[in-house]
Amino acid sequence: MGMLRIMSRRGDDRLSWDGQKALTGDAEAVAAVREAERIFAQERAKGATAFRVAPGKPVERIEHFDATAEQIVMVPRVVGG
Amino acid sequence: MIPLPQLLTALGWIVIALAISPMLWLIFQPYLKGWSRSERRAADLLRAILTPEQVRQLIWQGYLEVPSPTEPRRVYRVPRVKGYVQVVENGRAIMRLCLQPVESLPDADVVVLHKLMIEANEENYLQKANKYLCVE
Repeated sequence: MGMLRIMSRRGDDRLSWDGQKALTGDAEAVAAVREAERIFAQERAKGATAFRVAPGKPVERIEHFDATAEQIVMVPRVVGG
Repeated sequence: MIPLPQLLTALGWIVIALAISPMLWLIFQPYLKGWSRSERRAADLLRAILTPEQVRQLIWQGYLEVPSPTEPRRVYRVPRVKGYVQVVENGRAIMRLCLQPVESLPDADVVVLHKLMIEANEENYLQKANKYLCVE
């Protein structure tokens, strides 16, 4: 299972998908992946930064949506205060 | 007609209540915030990203230490609530950093944000932050 978490004032909005089912062509799983991809692109366009996070692995900043990622966390644009 | 002593007593209690209410608000505000849905969701994310030891450090010490990925003697102290991130080298605070999201986020999310940014791209994080040197 993959999960996209987008930080916001509401906490974080989550969207999950089943990568294995999507690979077999399951329509619902494919739609979930596409929706996650769309939201990822929308947030990136707003200036958000995306990180691939997995237990025991170094955090990695990613530029493109990765449907195989266990968890992607998106943070809003930041500025020096 | 209310007798004067009783009126004065009532007024006294009102003044005391008004005086202590900001203090009570300051004491209980973090707990009240913790009950909100957004704070609970942010706390879930925090627990998913941090190790149990890191969560304990954040609760008991009030900050999370994020080791620098490039400089072994440097750690970043990210406060539990919004504030400056301290840069500590060889056990000495050398700098304070200010970096904030353009959108208001729950405190726990801000901690995660700093951790992810430092670990994924420390150089970029330092470029974006405003720096205030600590002078002794």
